[in-house]
Amino acid sequence: MLLFFYLFLQTEPKGLDELGYPVKVFLDFDPLIFLSTLLSSRTIVKLFYLSLLTIVLTMILGRVFCGWVCPFGTLNNIVSLLRKKEPYRFKRFRLKYLILIFLLSASLFTLQLSGLLDPISLFIRSLTISIYPAFNYSLRSLFDFLYDTDIKILKDISETFYEVLKKSILSFEQPIYRQGLFIGGVFILIIGINLYERRFWCRYLCPLGALLGLLSRYSILKRSVSEGCNSCGVCERNCPSGAINKTRDWLKTECFQCFNCDDLCPQKAVKSGFKEQRGLQVDLTRRQVITYISAGILSVPLVRSNPFLKEEFLNPRVIRPPGSIAEKEFLKRCVRCGECMKVCITNGLQPAFLEAGLEALWTPVLVPKMGYCEYRCTLCGQVCPTGAIRRLSLQEKVRIKIGLAMIDRGRCLPYAHGRPCIVCEEVCPTPKKAIWFERVLIKDRNGKEREIQQPHVDLELCIGCGICEAKCPVVDRPAIYVTSIGESRSKVNRLLLEEYGGGGRI
Amino acid sequence: MKRRDFIKLTVSGLAGLAFNDALASLNPGELPELVVAQGTSHSRLTEKAIEALGGIKRFISRGDVVVVKPNMAWDRTPEQAANTNPEVVQEVVRLCYEAGAGKVKVFDRTVNDPRRAYVQSGIMEAVKKVGGEIFYVDDRKFKEVTINGEAIKTWPLYTEVFEADKVINIPVAKHHSLARLTMAMKNWMGIMGGSRRQIHQRLDESLADLAMVIKPTLTILDATRILIRNGPQGGNLEDVKVLNTVIAGIDQVAVDSFGATLFGMKGEDLGYVKIAHKRGLGNMDLSRVKIKRIRL
Repeated sequence: MLLFFYLFLQTEPKGLDELGYPVKVFLDFDPLIFLSTLLSSRTIVKLFYLSLLTIVLTMILGRVFCGWVCPFGTLNNIVSLLRKKEPYRFKRFRLKYLILIFLLSASLFTLQLSGLLDPISLFIRSLTISIYPAFNYSLRSLFDFLYDTDIKILKDISETFYEVLKKSILSFEQPIYRQGLFIGGVFILIIGINLYERRFWCRYLCPLGALLGLLSRYSILKRSVSEGCNSCGVCERNCPSGAINKTRDWLKTECFQCFNCDDLCPQKAVKSGFKEQRGLQVDLTRRQVITYISAGILSVPLVRSNPFLKEEFLNPRVIRPPGSIAEKEFLKRCVRCGECMKVCITNGLQPAFLEAGLEALWTPVLVPKMGYCEYRCTLCGQVCPTGAIRRLSLQEKVRIKIGLAMIDRGRCLPYAHGRPCIVCEEVCPTPKKAIWFERVLIKDRNGKEREIQQPHVDLELCIGCGICEAKCPVVDRPAIYVTSIGESRSKVNRLLLEEYGGGGRI
Repeated sequence: MKRRDFIKLTVSGLAGLAFNDALASLNPGELPELVVAQGTSHSRLTEKAIEALGGIKRFISRGDVVVVKPNMAWDRTPEQAANTNPEVVQEVVRLCYEAGAGKVKVFDRTVNDPRRAYVQSGIMEAVKKVGGEIFYVDDRKFKEVTINGEAIKTWPLYTEVFEADKVINIPVAKHHSLARLTMAMKNWMGIMGGSRRQIHQRLDESLADLAMVIKPTLTILDATRILIRNGPQGGNLEDVKVLNTVIAGIDQVAVDSFGATLFGMKGEDLGYVKIAHKRGLGNMDLSRVKIKRIRL
């Protein structure tokens, strides 16, 4: 888990073109993400061979991932330690298998929902969108308070600390995301339920745990109990997975292979090893399996049949990160892990709510008013685990259109109010600027003539980065704004004839 | 403040004693007001320009806290000429330490992401190499300053600039669609807090207003590479002209006025230069400025 947090903190831009070690590596080892992406998009993402390692390891040793690797599991375990009550046994192990069956059958029919419940994805997303921003906010406001006290000694000490923290665990700037409370609330609920029963999530809900459980069915690392056992129940009470029942019964597919039972047994009667002993399985009835497969399949048309099914029904403000593949494919791949949002250098990438349809919940959209797309930055494509956002070279990146800017002449200072302003042109990053000026003679209210520069957008050059919108002096509703029209990834959402395959330029 | 003034006086007094000989050899009457140095080694160019202006010790005393303000507002690389040449900045920082400066601080409020701008401009690395302190601006350190100018009455400005003993401005000469050119006076937008984009409504007056409160000790105009089109950010090497020139001066109005000539303009073509001249903040009339040219 420490490694996880370290990598999470490292998923922060430093000003260089390449990122060092993003936290993505955990997702690369995640077979649920691998399998569901494989099913929904029918493609194999290269880096996912790492998850094959997890698969093989689980087939041999059982759910060691749950016991020793999973950072979310570790967190659940830590929170569980706060619990004082005796274990209440919810004992519906099969629930998570049914969730898994539901998710996988949905992905088989191209609806990618597993990212919502995959523990790694869920953990990164919740940290990014909610927990880490809140953590930053609390520390920052503490230091700001100490700074504002203006008591010299206090200020000096706190500022020294602040500098150290800023270089280590704090982010460069206060991160802000919409839906922070919603996503954080779901997370806290899942964490909180540990107080009800130890590692509730891991035992009953986690679809990755279920997948690993299925894989561990024939694993060879087994628990055995010798004759010395006096049924004291120590192992049962200390089992994080709830796999031990009445001391002797052992649910193989539920075991995290933590070896607590082996270590703690006062009689030294419990051993983990490769000895032959039969473990018990969780039984799923055929009826249940069929029900959940059907539910998974049926969820596809239910979620999909909304106006977004029509290709031309587009939300103009759904601006996808540069390198995103065409929307349909994008939704099949994006697992909502939130890494692109974490790494976005301007904090412009935000989780979608329902603006791109229910299916697109928590997928990334660029909100230029929060942050524009930095011209020479390619980080989001570097961290995307599934290739929903392609990894771009710098040369490719600066040519990709994510939308186009349009001017609201009713609000623009030079158009509507005769006041000079060139900010959109000044900040426009394309080498030949996509914003150009027409010199126009205007009259003020006294009839006096004056020359002014009025901006125009060159649609061929504009890439829709949104810096003009972000920096427009008309702050509340910018007089220049980007919409998704013209985005390179779409065949429908285009504007210029040339890009439809028309002839020469006008 | 009083103790600080006392220390400053003592230190400068001691420094004065120490460099008595050096100072004696200079006849102030003979020093040029503006030095234009040309040559291919950009760091030597900078060194020689300052030397011809009387040497760094004329400006920096032992123990001084110096603020060096380059233009590093953009996520661009040095050869694209959107930011100050890192070699020039590095040389100035090095010289300050050579003159005994206690601390040399370098910063800019960037337009693009500061991390990218600091790194990609090459200035972060260059400054660190010679021991300068380069840091990102801290929003809490902008304090409202009374300017009482024509266009701006008060504005939040970066306090470090006003707390420093000496301030050195190192702009780069570039095209700009409203100001026409951005050089020394416009570089001070980089210490403005708040919504500085608003000043474009009356840019010339605002820049002259800023010059009333920000008085740099020394101005070094980087014209090693100038951006002649698509400024202030550029991005196309065809818009960059290599001039291999560094201009050093004390009067920033004169520096900007000379800078205009590099683009085939005159000082009076720039609204802010004209206003600043009229207000007596400097001299744009180059015929009345003692200029020394050096070629390396």
